[in-house]
Amino acid sequence: MTREQLQRLNTAISILSIPMFFLVWELVSRSHVVNIILFPPPSVVAVAMLEWVKSGQFAIDLTVSVTRVVIGFALGAIAGVLFGVLTGQFQLVSSLLSPIFHILRPIPPIAFVPIVILWFGLSETGKIFLVFWGVFFTVWLTTHIGVQKIDPGLIRAARMLGTPRRQMLTEIVLFGALPYIVVGLRTAVSISFYTLVAAELAGTFAGIVYRIEIAQQNLQTGQVMGGLVALGAVSFLADRGFAAVTQRLVWWR
Amino acid sequence: MTVARAAHRATVEPAAAPIEIDVADVSIVFDSSKGQVVAADRVSFQILRGEFVCLLGPSGCGKSTVLNTIAGFETPYAGTVRVAGKPVTGPGPDRGMVFQQPHLFPWKSVRSNISHGPRALGKPAKEARAIADDLIAMIGLSRFADAYPHTLSGGMQQRVAIARALANRPGVLLMDEPFGALDAQTRIVMQESLLGLWAKVGTTIVFVTHDIDEAIFLADRVLLMSAGPGRILRDLRIDLPRPRGSEIVLDPAYVALKKECLDLIRAESRQAFEQQAVR
Repeated sequence: MTREQLQRLNTAISILSIPMFFLVWELVSRSHVVNIILFPPPSVVAVAMLEWVKSGQFAIDLTVSVTRVVIGFALGAIAGVLFGVLTGQFQLVSSLLSPIFHILRPIPPIAFVPIVILWFGLSETGKIFLVFWGVFFTVWLTTHIGVQKIDPGLIRAARMLGTPRRQMLTEIVLFGALPYIVVGLRTAVSISFYTLVAAELAGTFAGIVYRIEIAQQNLQTGQVMGGLVALGAVSFLADRGFAAVTQRLVWWR
Repeated sequence: MTVARAAHRATVEPAAAPIEIDVADVSIVFDSSKGQVVAADRVSFQILRGEFVCLLGPSGCGKSTVLNTIAGFETPYAGTVRVAGKPVTGPGPDRGMVFQQPHLFPWKSVRSNISHGPRALGKPAKEARAIADDLIAMIGLSRFADAYPHTLSGGMQQRVAIARALANRPGVLLMDEPFGALDAQTRIVMQESLLGLWAKVGTTIVFVTHDIDEAIFLADRVLLMSAGPGRILRDLRIDLPRPRGSEIVLDPAYVALKKECLDLIRAESRQAFEQQAVR
């Protein structure tokens, strides 16, 4: 087989990969080897999803979940970059704050769910806080490292040109750290989705994960899996969209 | 040739030009894992306004350290450095610097890189842009004003770095082996265009190099340095006519100067070699 043929074969297989997955799933579900109620075939999942969309509930769930992620992510990212630049640039601030951040960072954000319920009840603030918490430390750490890894030659050049301190931060340090910051932000996108899961499981009144939980209680397994598919799709789109933004953000690469 | 040389001497008459850079008894000491290392030992020299001086010496002789001290990036252990009569306390826009690597801001276009200095000093955007465009024309990169550094060749990047260093109209231009990373052909072109640029802007230039030909080709004076610890071995006046072209290497005066440098360096290296053998 020539190299070209081999490549064509690989392309064909990769196109068939997902349909094959659904086909095998459908066959296994309907084969009576497994319980069809607990393990519904994709056709049943598709019907459940269609009904979810038609009822208008999907739009509400999607909006609520995405809003939580967007607000929590934005706040966490802004705070993370701000503190990352400060601790990365000023030794004194770093000595003061870094030890605190380092002891808080390893605690999984999900573990904060119980205390967050006590603090904020089942309000939106609690959900947003959890997402914020998950995003903040990742973005802070990558920004901090990014600032410290800036080519010292660039800093020297800027000092030689008489760059004042504020301009040094906004025009040199921030941009110098940007390649690291965007990596942190992209990681934080997926973190924000799994903190969302914890936040919505802890109790709420709408949202994609909430819908999964309710469906589970009613043994609507088609709806449960439909929720998982929807969550996967949203998270995937967010990651891809962010990757595209990233490329524009670091345009000089 | 005699006429040309006389004319040149008249332009940089030592008595007429004021002292721009005064390095007085400067010693620089570094802490290293093996204890303290003396990078420069009581180095003294003066450079007149508008002069082109090369610091020539082997790698590790402390010539870059001396340059960094004038730039204000290093603080001397002893002695003082004055530029235009004022003691140096840190880096500043009165001393432009070109590093061995261009160190251009990769997220800024050629024009923004060059206008960064004037803007940092509070010049209005329009004026900063005009200064940048003038310099871009001078270095012959008008077509690339909006290009980003990574799209340029090494030689072009270094030309932008020179323009950036000149944008604040500094009295002194410090150059730390700026052409060391370029290939031989590009290097020759860069040397000639630097001399052309210098003829227009007339700043004082201190140029660090380990290349004898480069030093003699460019400089009014060559300060020959020795290694371990760095000292000024000889202050050589380069009385070659300007403008200088590549054919200057055939000039007997050039050959004599080169021989003098080589002899000094040879004697010095032999001595250093024997000292190492004794240790």
